[in-house]
Amino acid sequence: MALPVLICDDSLLARKQVRKSLPESFDADILTAANGVEALTILRSQEIGLVFLDLTMPELDGIGVLEAIKQDGLDCFVIVISADIQPEMQKRVTELGALAFIHKPVNPEKLVVILKHYGLI
Amino acid sequence: MSTVFSEEQRDCLQELINVAMGLASDKLARFLNTFVHIQVPAIELVNSAQIPAQFEAQYSSAEAALVSQGFLGNDGLRGEAIVLYQLENAHRIAALLGYDTDNASELEMLTDISSILTTTFLNGLAEQIDNSLSYSAPRVLSSRQNNMTEALIETACHWELALRVDISYQLIHHSFNCDMLLLIPGEAVLNIQQILDRIVEEY
Repeated sequence: MALPVLICDDSLLARKQVRKSLPESFDADILTAANGVEALTILRSQEIGLVFLDLTMPELDGIGVLEAIKQDGLDCFVIVISADIQPEMQKRVTELGALAFIHKPVNPEKLVVILKHYGLI
Repeated sequence: MSTVFSEEQRDCLQELINVAMGLASDKLARFLNTFVHIQVPAIELVNSAQIPAQFEAQYSSAEAALVSQGFLGNDGLRGEAIVLYQLENAHRIAALLGYDTDNASELEMLTDISSILTTTFLNGLAEQIDNSLSYSAPRVLSSRQNNMTEALIETACHWELALRVDISYQLIHHSFNCDMLLLIPGEAVLNIQQILDRIVEEY
């Protein structure tokens, strides 16, 4: 059965880059959101197995989304894909429950390693 | 800028710039040994002739400095990056970094920071478009020795276009604003559009 996946980034290019980086063997049903508010609306209304989350976004940023996921006890894996690559930021998102932190622009090989590691493919 | 770039091209350029700026912030954070909060930089393409007037109010009323550095890459990619600062916070940051607080040390610090900002940023940008750049030595002008408006006019007049990148850095205890301008030749727009189209098509 396909895994419901949400790609959340304010950049159309970045959303496409993530989608294209996913291996063909990954059976996913892909939804997209252009900011944190849109992402939470989707996350609260339907089951999402995996979220690819950008950090720097208008309306509500990725940190805000992670906090809401934690607070609401939403059951989903989160992989952060960010241009803000400072070690402090990586630490912060990991503490907030993100599975992994990937630097932009997303590297497809690295993504496959992470998906395999967590048994998602 | 909307008239020059399509919506897709603009989105693509903004994303390339965000990624490059993320690399520069990380480098700056390591240099300053603090976390650097950065907002998504606003970008705008303007005629370079407009630049002196756009910045006159902001940088002529207070003490300011300008650091400029030329860059040159493959396929005719070339330009001049300038970073504009108000000196108001500079001495505090100089002290934070352990520089002496005299004027010469302050300018030395600004040269170091500018060099991190521009070269890391531009290298990050170049890498994403499969190019690589070399740089000329940075040139520093301070309002203590120079008239900033004249310095801007003098610098901007060699180029037709400027990509304005408004950078706002916030350190934990200080906020630190500066403006980065990438001055480029007029014919570069077509080149940039082609590069952006190629990337958009790739995905």
